[in-house]
Amino acid sequence: MREAGAGGAGGDSDGGRVDSVTLEVIRNGCEAVAEEMNGDLVRTGYSPNIKERRDCSTALFDAGGEMVAQAETMPVHLGAMPFSVAAAVEAHPPETLEPGDSVLLNDPFRGGAHLPDLTLVTPVYDRDGDLLAFAANRAHHADVGGSTAGSVAADSTEIYQEGLRIPPVKFERGTGAVDDDGLPESEVRGDVLDLVLANVRTPDERRGDLRAQTAANATGRRRFRDLADTHGATLRPALEEIKAYSERRMRAEIADLPDGIYAFSDVLDDDGRGNEDLPVEVSVTVEGDSVTVDFAGTAPQTAGPVNAVFAVTASATYYAVRCVTDPDIPPNHGCYRPIDIEAPEGTIVNPEPPAAVVGGNLETSQRVTDAVLGALAEADPEAVVAGCQGTMNNVTLGGTDPRSGTPYAFYETQGGGFGGRASGDGMDGVHVHMSNTLNTPAEVLETAYPLRVERYELRPDSGGAGEFRGGLGLRRDIEVRDHTARLSLLAERHESRPYGLAGGESGGTGAAYLFDGGNDEGSEDGGEKLPAKHTRDLPPGSVVSVRTPGGGGYGDPADRDPDAVARDVELGKLTPAAARERYGYDADDADGADPGGTDADE
Amino acid sequence: MDDSDGAGTRVGVDVGGTFTDLVTVRDGRVRVDKTPSTPDAPEEGVLTGLGGLDAPLAEVDFLGHGTTVATNAVLEGEWADTALVTTAGFRDALEIGRQTRPDIYDFDAEKPTPVVERDRRFEVPGRVDERGEVLEPLDEDAVRALADDLPDSVDSVAVALLFSFEHPGHERRVRDLLCEAGVEASVSLSSDVLPEVREYERTLATSLNAALKPVMDDYLGSLAEAAADEGLTAPLRVMGSNGGLMAAAAARERPVNTLLSGPAAGVRGATHVAGRRGVSDLITMDMGGTSCDVSLVRDGDPLVTTDTEVGDYPVAVPTVDVHTVGAGGGSIAHVDAGGALRVGPASAGADPGPVCYGRGGTRPTVTDAHLLLGRIDPTGFLPDALGRDASAVREAFDPLADAVGGSVADAAAGVLRVANANMERALRVVSVERGYDPREFTLVAFGGAGPLHATALAGALDVPRVVVPRAAGVLSALGLLISDVTYDYATSMVRPWPDVDAATLDAKFAEFEAEGGERLRGAGHDDSEIRFERTLDLRYAGQSFDLSVPVEGEATEAELDAAVARFHDAHERRYGHAYREEPVELVTVRLRARGLVEPPDLAVDERAGDPADARVGTREVTFGAVRDTPVYYRSRLPTDAAFDGPAVVEGGESTVVVHPGQTARVDADANIVVETGGEAGA
Repeated sequence: MREAGAGGAGGDSDGGRVDSVTLEVIRNGCEAVAEEMNGDLVRTGYSPNIKERRDCSTALFDAGGEMVAQAETMPVHLGAMPFSVAAAVEAHPPETLEPGDSVLLNDPFRGGAHLPDLTLVTPVYDRDGDLLAFAANRAHHADVGGSTAGSVAADSTEIYQEGLRIPPVKFERGTGAVDDDGLPESEVRGDVLDLVLANVRTPDERRGDLRAQTAANATGRRRFRDLADTHGATLRPALEEIKAYSERRMRAEIADLPDGIYAFSDVLDDDGRGNEDLPVEVSVTVEGDSVTVDFAGTAPQTAGPVNAVFAVTASATYYAVRCVTDPDIPPNHGCYRPIDIEAPEGTIVNPEPPAAVVGGNLETSQRVTDAVLGALAEADPEAVVAGCQGTMNNVTLGGTDPRSGTPYAFYETQGGGFGGRASGDGMDGVHVHMSNTLNTPAEVLETAYPLRVERYELRPDSGGAGEFRGGLGLRRDIEVRDHTARLSLLAERHESRPYGLAGGESGGTGAAYLFDGGNDEGSEDGGEKLPAKHTRDLPPGSVVSVRTPGGGGYGDPADRDPDAVARDVELGKLTPAAARERYGYDADDADGADPGGTDADE
Repeated sequence: MDDSDGAGTRVGVDVGGTFTDLVTVRDGRVRVDKTPSTPDAPEEGVLTGLGGLDAPLAEVDFLGHGTTVATNAVLEGEWADTALVTTAGFRDALEIGRQTRPDIYDFDAEKPTPVVERDRRFEVPGRVDERGEVLEPLDEDAVRALADDLPDSVDSVAVALLFSFEHPGHERRVRDLLCEAGVEASVSLSSDVLPEVREYERTLATSLNAALKPVMDDYLGSLAEAAADEGLTAPLRVMGSNGGLMAAAAARERPVNTLLSGPAAGVRGATHVAGRRGVSDLITMDMGGTSCDVSLVRDGDPLVTTDTEVGDYPVAVPTVDVHTVGAGGGSIAHVDAGGALRVGPASAGADPGPVCYGRGGTRPTVTDAHLLLGRIDPTGFLPDALGRDASAVREAFDPLADAVGGSVADAAAGVLRVANANMERALRVVSVERGYDPREFTLVAFGGAGPLHATALAGALDVPRVVVPRAAGVLSALGLLISDVTYDYATSMVRPWPDVDAATLDAKFAEFEAEGGERLRGAGHDDSEIRFERTLDLRYAGQSFDLSVPVEGEATEAELDAAVARFHDAHERRYGHAYREEPVELVTVRLRARGLVEPPDLAVDERAGDPADARVGTREVTFGAVRDTPVYYRSRLPTDAAFDGPAVVEGGESTVVVHPGQTARVDADANIVVETGGEAGA
């Protein structure tokens, strides 16, 4: 009678074989656990970067360390977290783990991605004390020490400058006691916590965020154990089948792509240390139902902080292949099995220590995605989009809040143009590919930090022309109030442009300006152009203005529906001049077109 | 109030997608009417229904109305030509939203269309800081210029300026200046609609309100006028998303607060029915053809959330916490490319509907699965179509049977298990994930398909008891008769707890109470029928998500200490831990003003007799194995009838399945109560 997810009836436990119904029931259950963990992490987080921007991810792994479910949040985290679980287990093999333990890490060369991302891995046991699974979550902390407040310095040359490096360490330890539900009790290791907090600028916020991370995994532990109680011996084989199921579907979709070797090359503008035009070369081989992605020819690892550790490169590659398949395929380890990645050691896509890596996770990951998708476009142009903004536009500001006298570190990333698509225009002002964090509401930002948002708007003309135009980039101006703040800007595509596809034109570049005397000019005239990767002090009253790139266009601009051009002009998303130049459209000839209200900033 | 003695004639009218339901209580007798809805002009269906009552409209002294006018306008994007006025630099905040894309792996995903398009969004200089201090005065000339630029076609204007919840003066001045400049469009201020922090959510709610205002105004205006012509003198009241009724004038002013009118009324109806039997902790489950709405009621009050979605839009106004999943009777089952059995979210809807309807549906649905398993009457379903379609149903399930490697019946059982897994997940979201143990709750099932699934779901969640109300088909209309008139007031007041001054807080509450009291007295409520509920939203300083806790009576220092203690307890229940030493922060001050409505007595006459006489036959029903299962006709069951599962109860608008091992009885209100044998439960 327990047909709702119960294991008793329906013949779902005949010696390890899992029927398709039970599979669906248990998969639903696992996803619900991952989502509840994520909800708890966001709702109990302390820093705006986690509680407002949701720069965090949660996932469940089986006892072998393979991912079985995730909350669909931050793509760059999701494909990289398996490396964290593997590193945690390598450092702390199952025989050394106890119920109630958790392992914390951020070392990019041992399971991490970049130092601000702290990952917590918690083993989950069944009632007999057998290891059943791992609950894991990753959260981007707004400061982990290092040379610059916010720990996203654009000028580091070694990881030692980037902040506190945490190899896999036991962060929580089981006390041996269990609660009323038979779940293990944990205590945070005070000495480890002290060590972490002593190395960061904003220890109270860090303590709060870490607490949210332990709470999220505790939820995962509790709920996954509930699943085990319900499904008993069926659970383990079901986890295997969940992965096999996704693998089957991935392989079927890959088999539909024409076999061949597809090459593409894109470029990083620079590394923040004067090394420019760093190529990301990729060769994608589709053969039957599997894909090999080879990064031979990519730039050697570089001095500045744009080196992407292998976990990040793998995450970006998995994501790109994932996006040309059916979005309905449940994301888990099975999706990765058909994909082989070869990234030569000592390159910006697989650096060796002590490379600086903070921007590898943020910027190079985007370029890896651009390159892999660019190659796949040759195999199936309708399945991919034109170049998206190709950056996360990282802005970090830190200093001492004059209102309270306490240090602060503010970090956010900014959306931009999504690429044009065979199905329509690119989305305006969104995070693309490897990021999907929310913005910080101006009202939250101004309450929490001594900063003021002066403008937050779409950038007319920034979308690449095409039958389906690229999405628009954003402009966000932030004023420093009554104190001197340290700015760290880490962005890309200020020189190179997001590519167009199928005859579409490239998207507009990004830019950044500094206004020293307030922002009443209303345009960048008089503003100082800033490098895309830049660290400096900002005096009181100054305004940093970040302009984010637009997306590339899709298809020949000559094929664009004239009504769509007219509408863009009406909405002020396209200036009359650009309409004329790009589409041969004359707004003056059109009835009722009102070019007023546009405020082109280029 | 005129009807406080519970006498007279009361009418609840709920407009659904297919039918407009009317419940009338007159001299203690309850009568149910149904009339087809008229989606193009919903007031016509309502008037037809009212005209068909056996009471003259002039004798109706209470009329409660549940409407989907605002909801449908949002889902279809058909609303007024609306303009938006924002702080300089922020006209695109509405369109950028929270800068996320809706699906990370789907390149074809789209952001929601902005409620107000870019050429209708205007900016005015003037800045206020986070404490409400004016940094830069409002540029009044800019407002006047904007008034000149407004196209004539604009019917409604939303005004949403930064930090208006701290300083509403600029928004009010904008409204006055527009008025002075001769702008005739109606104006919605964010400091009225949703005076809470986060500009996108506030601007969106205000824009939706503005866009819906002319729509709601037309609808309620013409309904009220036509009903008055027919002799109606009672005030028209509309169910709000928060589960309380409001005066029609308030609904016309604040349509964004009616987006969940129907579901909120259903939850209220279920709460009332359960409350009559002494049950105040319940989970409601309303399953229809395409979806299933679940919600949780604690101590007789539905949980309220400010985090809900209507269509593609997040709506942050207080709303009964209804969680919806795409699982209904019409949900289509299919085997996907990887060989997994999936159910929904695609639905066969009412047309063509499930295969067994015989209207041309060919894809297997949840309802068809019930038919194959014998749970719904194979002869009762559109009898003339049946001969043709019983085999068609089996045929539709053949591919599923191949995929699960079993019989057609195995496939049907699988479809139900998968559908139930989706609903179980929803039930867990509203209970376990909110910190409530389902074993301490009663599941109240309604909607056409709810009672078919609830008993299995209760078993899976260890919910000890399921109640299927007698009026399961018209609970929303019933809810309209018994709900209080309710107005919510709130303002964000973000302060560290030590900075919170009890006297200031008490004054704020008192101000809201004066406003709410005046409104309720204006609607005919005596002071004795007016209640105020004070709550505070608190959080740990540094967190972003808050929890509401009550303030009992005057906001004294001692009472505020008690409120903080309640917050720690609430946090512990919700998240499993509390930090009693950590600093707490005030976020929002809320007041609910209730005009009490004395519910009519809905008791039914006791029916004597023998359950055996209600037994209309025996049918083979599959519960794991095929069982000979008694079938009862619901309206013939006597009061206190008791019987064991397996059993099927038919009649009314739905079928109740009692599984083997469960027991059922009929209570004094003619509800069917199923004991699942789960834990706890008295």
